[in-house]
Amino acid sequence: MSERTQVVRVQGLTIRYPGRRAPALQDVSLTVAHGERLGIAGRTGAGKSTLALAVAGFIPRIVRAAVAGHVLLDGTDAIVAAPGVLLGRVGIVFSSPSNQLSGSRLTVRAELAFGLENLGIPSSEMDGRIDVVTERLGIGHLAEREPSSLSGGEQQRVAMASIVTMGPGILVLDEPAAELDPNGAAAVAALLDDLAAAGTTILHAEHDPVALGRYDRVVILEAGRIVPAMSSSPAVEPLAWTVGPGRAGASVTIEHVSHRYPNGIEALRDVSLRIGTGEAVAIVGANGSGKTTLVKQLNGLLRPTSGRVLLDDVSTDGTPVDRLAATVGFAFQDPGDQLFERSVEREVSFGPRQLGRVGPQASALVQAALAMTGLTGERELNPYDLDRSRRKLVALAGVLAMDPAVLVLDEPTTGQDRDGVERVGLIVRAMQTAGRTVIAITHDIAFASRWFDRVVVMDEGRLEDHRPPAA
Amino acid sequence: MDWLTICPEGATTPCVQPVQLAYLLAVVAVVALVAAIGRRSRDFTTATLSLIAVAIAINITIGSLTVALRLPLYLDSIGTVLVGALAGPWAGALTGLLTDLVWSVLPVPGGAGPTTALFAPVAAVIGLMAGFWADRGVFQLRSDDARIGGFLALALGIAAAAVAMLVVQNTVGLGFDPDDQGSQIRFVSLGIVIALVGVVTVGISRRTVFRLRGDDPRTRTYLITATALSAAALVFALIRLLLAPTDVGLFLAAIGAIVVAGLAVSWARRGDHARFFPVWVGGFTTGLVAALIAAPIVAGVFGGVTGGGTDALVALFRTLGLSVFGSAFAQGLTSDPLDKTISFTIVFVVLTALPITVRTMFSRGELTVAE
Amino acid sequence: MTGIATDVATGYYVAGSSWLHRRHPLTKLLGVLFVVVAVFLLPPAVSLPLLAALLAGIAIAAGLARSLLRSLRIPSVLVLSIVVVNALFFPGGRDVLLGVGPLSITREGLTFGLVSASRLLVVFVASVLFLFTTLADDLLETLVARGVSHRIAFVVLTAVQLIPRMQHRATGILAAQQARGLSLGGSLGRRIRTLVPLVGPVLLASLVDVRERTLALEARGFGARPGRTAYRVVPDSGLDRALRMALVIAIVAVIVVAITGVVR
Repeated sequence: MSERTQVVRVQGLTIRYPGRRAPALQDVSLTVAHGERLGIAGRTGAGKSTLALAVAGFIPRIVRAAVAGHVLLDGTDAIVAAPGVLLGRVGIVFSSPSNQLSGSRLTVRAELAFGLENLGIPSSEMDGRIDVVTERLGIGHLAEREPSSLSGGEQQRVAMASIVTMGPGILVLDEPAAELDPNGAAAVAALLDDLAAAGTTILHAEHDPVALGRYDRVVILEAGRIVPAMSSSPAVEPLAWTVGPGRAGASVTIEHVSHRYPNGIEALRDVSLRIGTGEAVAIVGANGSGKTTLVKQLNGLLRPTSGRVLLDDVSTDGTPVDRLAATVGFAFQDPGDQLFERSVEREVSFGPRQLGRVGPQASALVQAALAMTGLTGERELNPYDLDRSRRKLVALAGVLAMDPAVLVLDEPTTGQDRDGVERVGLIVRAMQTAGRTVIAITHDIAFASRWFDRVVVMDEGRLEDHRPPAA
Repeated sequence: MDWLTICPEGATTPCVQPVQLAYLLAVVAVVALVAAIGRRSRDFTTATLSLIAVAIAINITIGSLTVALRLPLYLDSIGTVLVGALAGPWAGALTGLLTDLVWSVLPVPGGAGPTTALFAPVAAVIGLMAGFWADRGVFQLRSDDARIGGFLALALGIAAAAVAMLVVQNTVGLGFDPDDQGSQIRFVSLGIVIALVGVVTVGISRRTVFRLRGDDPRTRTYLITATALSAAALVFALIRLLLAPTDVGLFLAAIGAIVVAGLAVSWARRGDHARFFPVWVGGFTTGLVAALIAAPIVAGVFGGVTGGGTDALVALFRTLGLSVFGSAFAQGLTSDPLDKTISFTIVFVVLTALPITVRTMFSRGELTVAE
Repeated sequence: MTGIATDVATGYYVAGSSWLHRRHPLTKLLGVLFVVVAVFLLPPAVSLPLLAALLAGIAIAAGLARSLLRSLRIPSVLVLSIVVVNALFFPGGRDVLLGVGPLSITREGLTFGLVSASRLLVVFVASVLFLFTTLADDLLETLVARGVSHRIAFVVLTAVQLIPRMQHRATGILAAQQARGLSLGGSLGRRIRTLVPLVGPVLLASLVDVRERTLALEARGFGARPGRTAYRVVPDSGLDRALRMALVIAIVAVIVVAITGVVR
């Protein structure tokens, strides 16, 4: 392609973060033409985020790192550009919707004006530009809403709009749909289609190449280098949970449980369900159908307004949450609610310690949990130095180490790449083989059908359907 | 301006000029402080500003949580200390300042309700001191670092000064008579003598007993002894001072000293705790200063009462003969040092768990990593 | 999650369009400053009743009387404490009015307590009327227009909106750690030791967020160029400008009068 139409030129880019031995990117070179849609695929840790940040001009000015090579955007080298030079020429969208809102504006319109204010656009022009963008991206109906009251998908669209309003010709995206449900992800994909049609050059990093299927070109990163094809993952040996022999699972009986929140919302309406010892059940349903409310009844985080919950035919009524934790292990959707220790190993051993396990018994549980989640090599590392998907596995390991009779998983596969999803599935199978009861909430139907005996559908607080998944 | 004067005894009758002058100087100092903070804040990076915003929210959230959990603490400066440690004293000062200003206009329980804004200078100073101590390395020293000796010496010095103050009060008498010029001069000169005792103790101990090296087997013994002595002397002096010359006071002070000495010994004997010592010295001194600065505000504006559970303590101190200012200071003394020590400890523990990616965003990030 | 943010983020604001609502934020801020200065520098016997009447009149005229009365619940404990502790335990109080067992209420103590409490109440009422009728956004935008750094204003606004989210997260953390077996309650020592697993995740997750937020802010050009413009402009009026001038003169007058001791 001719020099003139090359909008992005990366030449021999090598980046190494302080304190790390291995470089995040090694001698990466690529070019992107004007209006092209480029996909960047790779496993977690391959260097996609680093490349995205470098193209957006964030390295080394804002994110400190040792850099060699060039990133030329329309001739300007992003590596050495002064602050403000690239503003309005290249924009970047990250994966966490709530962290991309400025958090200082009370309406979406004012939020979209944030970037324009920093650009120094005259106030009289702002409304015009905002209107154009909200129309184009289909978020006009959200204009007067408060940003923090929107759903994740809506917030992400607002975040993208606030960058697009600044008019960049190049848009970089780092796993923009990672924290969204399928509806949100679809909305983001539609937005990208619109933007590409309007001539924006797009660089989009994803760990799942399927999401990049519609793209003009895809480059694959592995361990910081561009490779022709993704290597196949090392086969995971079948997992087995062999600590705590003699400890069995527990049956779960939900009897006519209804739950009404203090604000009046009826989240559960007369739900009855019996899960036998050693069964694996997946609960699916739309957002707001009551899935999370239901499973939180199982370990006492929420109590039924009427009806009762029985573990091994004993009511949970009257037993506090921390005592039920000895029976029911609950893996939360957001590991950020639990992590606080300085190493993975200490974090995983927190649960067993609270349950009173000490010495070699506790140590065996921790090592087994680390082995199951594939984290044995990372046990000295700080959980926050791992990427989000591995952090979720740390939290899961912390729950496994408590040797629960009933394992409850809340959206265990969101944010995981293919290998991660496979591992979670194998863990479910291993725990079930060890006789434990496994219950999971998921919106990944494929995952549910593959690894679970039964799939239960919830809709508006009621149990709709339960039958074995189609063969 | 008769009705304006606030005297050491709390009465509203005319009293000596120095107190009013002190208040005027205080107002000037506050204005200067705010101006300095404003000027420094122009150079803050985006990362620092994001951190400050989050830290303000942390202060208010944890502060109101503490009220909800009915703990006898404030814990409303954790964010301030964190910012001081990661981004320096002036960023910490801004955090404290804005926290109290914002808290007074939000319907969130805790702090001092709508009047929290008046304590903004105190919060700012806490941020300054947190940054100061962080620059001295309190959050980064390992147990075998020789510099811990310096902090031991400092603690011993404070304890020595406290004991000196006690001795002086029981012999010559420290009395501050607002009507007698002579007594004021004597008060000041005695104060200087006491401070000198403290400084000399620090100097001597630093050069002799506390030249610690990690591999020196006497290190642990010195640490244990010094901790026990400092803590005991400090507690004894404090209680004795507050409860004035009564037999009950003496008895209570002795009991308190023995208990604290025992706790200190059992703590110091457990392995890796030496690295907490500088943290606790930093927190304790910050709490002392905070109590000192807050007392006139509480005395002058609230009549010595804050509406919290600690008012019972204030009442107690008053019956024991302390003035409005004195009882406000005493109440502060019983809660601020402990509160700030716990806050410093929490920040210390959290900093050890901070991932590299966050540390490198801040100029002082490296200071929080033990080498 | 809807509604949590609005409650705290807009603070005490009561929607309305009264005369007071329509005044410029800086005018109202100066008004509060005047009240503070007058309450503490002028003789209480004169200033307190006058100011109280003035503020009550303004509240009624703006239709905020009921909200005001409801808000008096907030400083009630503090006010009560001030009166009681000072009445009973005032050092130097000699004129005993009432003896209640070993305790006695002195005239000096009661006077001091009532005066202190009344001062506080008047200042509180003025502040609350200001907060009822002013949005934080508006106030900060006007301050920025007059030279306050827009980055500081941003910090304040962001912090305010973060608080409800963090409180929500704190309850989530409480639940999550309990689900790992952490038990609350028990001795003071135990309760203090449970602080780290409760406070730790709040701090760490927030700090990790700081990194992402910083990147997003940089992507939106925060602080990158001088010459920031403003989307919203708060309307000003001639009346407001006149009022502000009058208030500044009044504040200076009070200070001068107090220092020179003309009025006793």
